[in-house]
Amino acid sequence: MTAGPDATPVGAAPAGRGVLVTRVVLGAAGLLVLGYGLVLLLGSGTQQLLAVATWLVGGVVLHDAVIAPVVVGLGVLAAARVPDRLRTPLVGLLVVLGPLTLAAVPVLGRYGARPDNPTLLDRPYWAGYLAIVVLALLAVAAWTARRRPSAGPAGPGDDAAR
Amino acid sequence: MAAGTRELSGVAARIEARIPRPEDFDSDLRGPRTAARVGTWLGVAFGVCFLTGLYSHYLQHPTPAVPLATGPARLYQVTQGLHVAAGTAAVPLLLVKLWSVFPRLLGRPPLEPRRLVLHVLEKGSIALLVSSAVFQLATGLPNSAQWYPWRFDFIAAHFAVGWVAAGSVLLHVAVKLPVIREAFGVPPETRPATAGAPSRRTLLRATWVAAAVAVVATTAAQTPLRRIAVLAVRSGNGPQGVPVNRSAAGALVADLVQDPGWRLQVSGPTGSVELSLEDLRAMPQHEAVLPIACVEGWSASGTWGGVPVRDVAALVGGTPDDDVTVRSLQPRGAYRESTLPAAWVAKQDSLLALTLGGEPLHPDHGYPCRLIAPARPGVLQTKWLTEVEVVRA
Repeated sequence: MTAGPDATPVGAAPAGRGVLVTRVVLGAAGLLVLGYGLVLLLGSGTQQLLAVATWLVGGVVLHDAVIAPVVVGLGVLAAARVPDRLRTPLVGLLVVLGPLTLAAVPVLGRYGARPDNPTLLDRPYWAGYLAIVVLALLAVAAWTARRRPSAGPAGPGDDAAR
Repeated sequence: MAAGTRELSGVAARIEARIPRPEDFDSDLRGPRTAARVGTWLGVAFGVCFLTGLYSHYLQHPTPAVPLATGPARLYQVTQGLHVAAGTAAVPLLLVKLWSVFPRLLGRPPLEPRRLVLHVLEKGSIALLVSSAVFQLATGLPNSAQWYPWRFDFIAAHFAVGWVAAGSVLLHVAVKLPVIREAFGVPPETRPATAGAPSRRTLLRATWVAAAVAVVATTAAQTPLRRIAVLAVRSGNGPQGVPVNRSAAGALVADLVQDPGWRLQVSGPTGSVELSLEDLRAMPQHEAVLPIACVEGWSASGTWGGVPVRDVAALVGGTPDDDVTVRSLQPRGAYRESTLPAAWVAKQDSLLALTLGGEPLHPDHGYPCRLIAPARPGVLQTKWLTEVEVVRA
C-alpha cells in the first residue's frame, strides 16, 4: 500500500483517518460487488465462461499489445519529425478521432444490418464519419492559425533529448 | 532499476533489456494528475452504466426484492439512453486513462516475497479492472448496433462482467485514494512541460471534447440533437414514424398476421374468451402517447390506441392484483412472451394496442394487436399477440 502521500503537515491526522475509513468501506464494497460478478461468471457454465474469458483476455491484449504500442510509436515519431507547432493539434486530433473511430466500427461496418429491417443502421455512416473528420481538421486548423502570432517556447525550453 | 530487480541471464536478460521500463517514458502528461482527473469522469460514466444497467436488468427479470416504478412513461427511455451515452463517453475516457498509466504496466516485479505477493495482487486487480472495463464497452457498443460477433450469451455476460467492472472500480479507488487526493491538490498545468508538447490542461480538454463528440455523434436518445447524430444506429424513421426492432418477416409471422380468422385467446380465473379484431375495436378505446425505448438505447414516441389491458383482463375475472402474461404468434425467440406485472396492468395507459397514429398497426409494429405499456424496455412490448393470460400470484 502507498503510505507516503499522506505525510501532509497540520490537520493531517483527522483527514488521514477519514480517508482510511473511506478506503476500507470502498474496498470492502468493491470486493463484495466484484465477488458477486465472479460468482455469476463462474456459475454460467464452461462454454459461456470460456467464450467470455476469450473476450476478457482479448480486449486487454488488443489494447496493451496493439493500440498502446501504436500510440507510443506515434508519439516518438511526432517528437522526432513533426514541427512543434503541429504537435498539440495532432494530439487533439488523435484524442478525438481515435476513440471515435473505434466506437464507430459497428455502424461503419453495418455488421448488424438485416435485409428485412430497413429502419436499422439506416444512415450514411461513412459520409457522417468523414464529415466529423473534416470538421475536426477545420477546427484544429483554425485553432493553430489563431495561436500562431503568439507562438514561441512557452516554458523554460528544456528540450529533453532522448 | 537496481535494488529488488530480478537478475536474469542469457536470452531472457537480452529480451528483458529490450522491453522499455516505466522510466523510459518521458511524457510528463502521463501520471496521476491526468489519471485522477480522467479516471474520475470514467468512474462516473461506469457508475451511471452500472446503475442504469441494473435497472434495465431487473425490469426484464423482476424479483420481489427490487421495487420498480411504473412511470413516468419516459423513465426507461431516459435510463437506457443514459446507459448507452455513458458507455459511449467512456470509450475516449478509458483510452486516455489507460494511456496515462501505461508505463506502469512495464514495471518489473519485486523479488522480496512479501512485496511480490502484494505486487501480484495489485496487478491481478488491475487486470480484472482493465479487462472487464474493455469487455463492457467492446460488447455493449456492437450490441447497440445489433452486431453479435461472439459465442457467449450477451445478456448474462454483460450483466456478470458489469458487476466485476463496478467492483473493480470501487476497489481501485480504495487502493488509489491517497494518490488521487494528492493529484487533485495541484491544478492541471496550463503550460507544456516540454516545448512543442501540449499542456496537461490542453490534453484534458481534448479528452472532454472527445467524450462529448462521441456522445453527440452516436446519441440514440430522442433529442433535438438527433439530426447531427450521424453515427446513431437509427435515424428514427420507420413505418408510421416509428423504427422497428424486429420485423414481421424477421419474426416469421408475416403470413400469420394477415389471417382473417385471427382471434385473441384470453384466459383467466373465471374462464376464457376469444376476441376478434372487431370485438376489440368495439370495446372502449383509450389513447396514450408512449415511447418504444429499446435496450439498444434508441427510442421513438407514438400515439397508441387500443383497449386497456385491465379491461380485457376483467373479462375473465382479472383483478388489479393479477399479473398478465401475453404471448406472440412468433414461433420462437426469447421475447415471444412477456409478463406485465400487476402494477402496470392497473394503469390505464397499458394497452393492447390496435392503432398507431390513428391507423391500424403496421405489420412490423405488431398488427393486429400488440402490448404497449409505459416505462418498460421495448423487448417486453410484445407484438403480434395471440394469447392473453391473467396470472394470479
